[in-house]
Amino acid sequence: MVNAIIMPKLNQSEDDCIIVKWRVKPGDKVKKNEILFEIETEKAVLEVESFYDGTLLKIVVPEGVATPVNATVAWVGEPGEKVPDVAPPPPAAAAPIPAPVAPAATKTQTAAAAPVAAVAVTAPVPFPSAAAPAPARRQAVSPRARALARNSAVSTDSIRGTGPGGRVVEKDVRAYLDSKGYGQLRITPAAKALALREKVDILTVRGTGDSGRIMTGDIERSLRERPRALSKMRQIIAQRLTQSVVTAPHFFVTVPVDMTDLLKFRHVLKTRGAPFSVTDFVLESVALSLVEFPAMNSSTDGKTARWHSAVHLGMATSLEDGLVVPVIRNAQDLSLAELHAAVVALAGKARDGKLLPDEMTGSTFTVSNMGMLNIENFTAIINPGESGILAVSSTVQTPVVRDGRIVVREVMKITLSSDHRLIDGAVAARFVNAIKSKLEDINLWKSLT
Amino acid sequence: MPNYLSNRKPDFTPHKINCGSIMAYQFKGTLKDELAAKHLTKARAIDLLEDMLVIREFEEMIVKLRSGAYAPCAGYDYRGPTHVSIGQEAASVGGCYGIDAPDYITSTHRGHGDSIAKGCVAIRAMSNEELRARVPAFKGKDADLLEAALEDHIYKTAAELFGKEDGYCRGRGGGMHIADFTVGHLGANAIVGGGVPISTGAAMACRYLENDRVVCCFAGDGAYANGIVLESLNWAAMQQFTNALAKDKKFGIPIIFLILNNHYGMTHRTDDEVMGVSSMARRAAGFADNNMHAEVVNGMDVLAVREAVNRAADGCRKGEGPFLIEVNTYRYYGHSLSDPRNEYRTKEEEEAWKVVDPITTFSQQLLDAKVLSKKGLEEVIKRVQDRNARACSRAAKAADPDPADVIKYMYTDTSSVEVPAPHNQVKLVKALPEIKRVDGQLTYRDAIKEAMIQEMLRDNRVFFYGEDVADYGGAFKATKGLLEAFGRRRIFNSPISEAAICSTAVGAAMLGLRPVVELMYMDFALMAGDAISNQAAKWHYMSGARAEIALVIRASVGGGKGYGGQHSQTLESVFAHIPGLYVVYPSTPHDAKGMLKAAIRNNNPVLFVESQLLYGVKGPVSEDDYLIPLGVADVKRVGSDISLVAWGPAVLDALKAADQLMTDHKISAEVVDLRSLVPLDMETVLTSVRKTGKCVVASQAISIGSFTGEIASNIMREAFDDLDAPVIRVGAKDGIAPQALCLEQVFLPTADDIYKAALSIL
Ligand SMILES: Cc1ncc(C[n+]2csc(CCOP(=O)(O)OP(=O)(O)O)c2C)c(N)n1
Ligand SMILES: [Mg+2]
Repeated sequence: MVNAIIMPKLNQSEDDCIIVKWRVKPGDKVKKNEILFEIETEKAVLEVESFYDGTLLKIVVPEGVATPVNATVAWVGEPGEKVPDVAPPPPAAAAPIPAPVAPAATKTQTAAAAPVAAVAVTAPVPFPSAAAPAPARRQAVSPRARALARNSAVSTDSIRGTGPGGRVVEKDVRAYLDSKGYGQLRITPAAKALALREKVDILTVRGTGDSGRIMTGDIERSLRERPRALSKMRQIIAQRLTQSVVTAPHFFVTVPVDMTDLLKFRHVLKTRGAPFSVTDFVLESVALSLVEFPAMNSSTDGKTARWHSAVHLGMATSLEDGLVVPVIRNAQDLSLAELHAAVVALAGKARDGKLLPDEMTGSTFTVSNMGMLNIENFTAIINPGESGILAVSSTVQTPVVRDGRIVVREVMKITLSSDHRLIDGAVAARFVNAIKSKLEDINLWKSLT
Repeated sequence: MPNYLSNRKPDFTPHKINCGSIMAYQFKGTLKDELAAKHLTKARAIDLLEDMLVIREFEEMIVKLRSGAYAPCAGYDYRGPTHVSIGQEAASVGGCYGIDAPDYITSTHRGHGDSIAKGCVAIRAMSNEELRARVPAFKGKDADLLEAALEDHIYKTAAELFGKEDGYCRGRGGGMHIADFTVGHLGANAIVGGGVPISTGAAMACRYLENDRVVCCFAGDGAYANGIVLESLNWAAMQQFTNALAKDKKFGIPIIFLILNNHYGMTHRTDDEVMGVSSMARRAAGFADNNMHAEVVNGMDVLAVREAVNRAADGCRKGEGPFLIEVNTYRYYGHSLSDPRNEYRTKEEEEAWKVVDPITTFSQQLLDAKVLSKKGLEEVIKRVQDRNARACSRAAKAADPDPADVIKYMYTDTSSVEVPAPHNQVKLVKALPEIKRVDGQLTYRDAIKEAMIQEMLRDNRVFFYGEDVADYGGAFKATKGLLEAFGRRRIFNSPISEAAICSTAVGAAMLGLRPVVELMYMDFALMAGDAISNQAAKWHYMSGARAEIALVIRASVGGGKGYGGQHSQTLESVFAHIPGLYVVYPSTPHDAKGMLKAAIRNNNPVLFVESQLLYGVKGPVSEDDYLIPLGVADVKRVGSDISLVAWGPAVLDALKAADQLMTDHKISAEVVDLRSLVPLDMETVLTSVRKTGKCVVASQAISIGSFTGEIASNIMREAFDDLDAPVIRVGAKDGIAPQALCLEQVFLPTADDIYKAALSIL
């Protein structure tokens, strides 16, 4: 009969042992209690004896390999007997080393995979440390005082502590309640329960019930008045636009654009099956003008100015609760039709929240069109890193003096915001007028369509 | 009239002290001789062999299990110790066959052999009814009963080693703490030497109960260097058990100290290395003028061991104990399987001992004496192998304990409700001492005395010992006059052996007595650390609740007397940390009486803490037989502004502080006397704290690791929202008690400390 020789577990805490020496070789006769091999444990070198008489048929585990206890290390039996075919156990591994991490790679992946980042105005910028002020030392409130305040549905924020070290203790809460006439406060049980659940300080709630009783509706109103955290997107908008206003000195230049002819022509094009929008015309005019005014297609950090050879047009697009700026790349190279296609595609993606991060980064100039919102004129805030932004208002029928006569024309005001660090008034004036003259030049559009 | 007065005059006459001689290897008998002399029957001779084989087979299984080589338990992974005694079977079997079946043993960490042998002897002596009661599940015929009971014995032994619910101790103890109180096995002990004082206490109980029983105490050569073992030898040999002090009850302690001299303690050599005697038997000469009848026997010869133990047991039954027998034997394996014997002994030594192997040599004798044929011998071996295989494979597959029961069996909820006859018959030697009551008031000291008297009158299983407690009445006179009334059988002076005082009480409790012992100063409890913490506290749990250790240790706390660092410690927190022990500390005479009576009737080991600062304090104490349950705190003063939680003398300080707070600041303080640390009545504390919102916890102990922290932490967890201030602890300065008056005055906590602590959070 073939018997397995097992790596013994001689020590309770031992998980694996090394055979340091085999005392017998395959083919040797072995007797019960004869020493087969020596093992090294964490305590000592020990001899392992055979439990069987027979012949050593096969050594499975050679010397020097750390082997788990209870693994088969050899076979003893009668000469010629077949030994079961088992693979030697995998050597006991050293403590597993954690796989190296590539922080950069991981970061990139996370960013790409996170749709939150995709709705950012542009690529998210780390918050300045001022956004997370050091926590103020917390007012000490004893657990009992805190519980009393909580159960009374009042906040401890304005309670003065008289306990040791200025701690608010139970009697301070009671004194505060008395001073606020808490005992006379009238509140319905349901309103009280809601206030307790939602942690509304009922001393701050105006009661609208009879004789000033606080009703559920009052608590609900108070809940709606509570500060809520801005969405991630709004926080990024807030941070970037504040940065722009603080660092880029803005000035504004407005011109009226007579759109009468272009709108007529647009109608003709539409009947021909080419549905261009006012936005398309504006963007095209801006792209053409930017090529003429390289300073307007530049950016500055306040020390250096950098001209961008390509025109990447940002197109401010409003969403339900925010704003994104998809970017039309190399607008200078696009035909009007291509531009139109790009606008439609990006606007659709923006609405569906499907914009990829690089479809929202790298613009060199931005256009914000609020024409469809029925406004006469507005100014826009420059997207950080650009030198200007064009605000496009609604087209309004306006009495205009033409050749000495008052006539009614379709007039659209455009206002350029410029970064005064780069752009002076004259350049800005020439630039808006360049746009204006393009929009009013019907021959230009005929040549482009 | 005093009980006895010593009157020993100086006598410096030159003379020679004779230490006598100790005989070795005198037994010359062979099996043939023994059969001829009718010292045993042929059947008995086969039993001796069979039981040695059972042990060997069992322990070889343990060795094989660690290598997956025991086929009946294939796939079973044994965890736990591997202290096998292979080679020593004649000592276990000879020892257990030398005493009678109802006699007692204690054993060691290498105790599979002793445990198996004791069970086999007991089972072989049982009537059919007793066997049926032992294996109620067996429904077969009478002829197979013995076999079934033997198999069940091996099953329960293996199940205990394997940590199974069916084990002798429900898998709570394991092989190193295996016990079967139903057959007189009072437990193996993993504390080297730990079983020796337990044996001594059990033997003391046999003497007390006059039950004709004997205790055989198995312990190794290594153990005979341990202080508690030497204390036990001295204890067992005390002359007061046999001289005039014993009056008409001169009877030596019926114990046989059987030294299993296998020549090694783990790996050190007791011969030539860590001891100064060439023969362990010489130990006896240091403790008794008669050398405890010591002798040395051949431990590889089961007949020699049996004969010597049998003779000693006879002597014990005649009141000639104690006896000491050194059994010269050998363990073939190392201390455990992780021990490479080649680092400390030679192969030649091992081979030489195997030549005199107890099983092969005795098998040969059976063949030579024609008690067994070769075939008959093979049948015995086969029977043993098959029985062990059946039992052990069943044990490996048996049910594990429920993990939800991890701390079940820590305490028993039983107590002595009724005293069974004849223990309710108490004879007084003389009239009881008078206890002076003035206006219904007693001192704390007299309250304790009254409790002792009432309980000793109620139950003669209650007896009392400690240092100087008898004639002198205790260092603090709490038991003055009890010796005269109850006699030296029930109250006696112990030697200065705190460990033995506490551990012998454990042994006596195992036999059903209810010892009360005194530690003169609580500081000395540290001398009895093992006795209190590993033995008294743990045996109920480790035995799977098969044993109840009903005993009381009265410990007296010093302090405030200029006695310095070793006589002034308040140590109840140390023992409250030991699971299995009750720890109580009454503060008033009324509580002291009621709680001591309750402690004596409780079936858990109780550490009853008293304070020397309180002994003289007076208070109302009813003469009635009333009990105060352990684990119930007491509101000593009702208040509403702050809770002062305290125990021991700190309660009195808290009451003073409460008065002061009222007088000075109109602050109403509630004082909660915890009374009992274990079991802990947190509810009363929490109710108070929920009311007041503020709490000071005070005790006389230093604060590091003090139980005051336990109370504070419980309050924080259970009543956090009710707290109006942090819980403050008051204790002694975190240092060592000084002697100088001016230092000790600032060292100990005072009422003013509690008062100031209260103000700091008000
Ligand atoms: C108080 C205590 N100290 C040390 C140990 C560790 N230990 C376990 S067994 C042992 C040797 C005991 O020798 P001996 O009494 O001769 O018994 P043997 O092992 O030879 O049977 C030691 C030191 C222990 N369990 N208890
Ligand atoms: Mg030893």
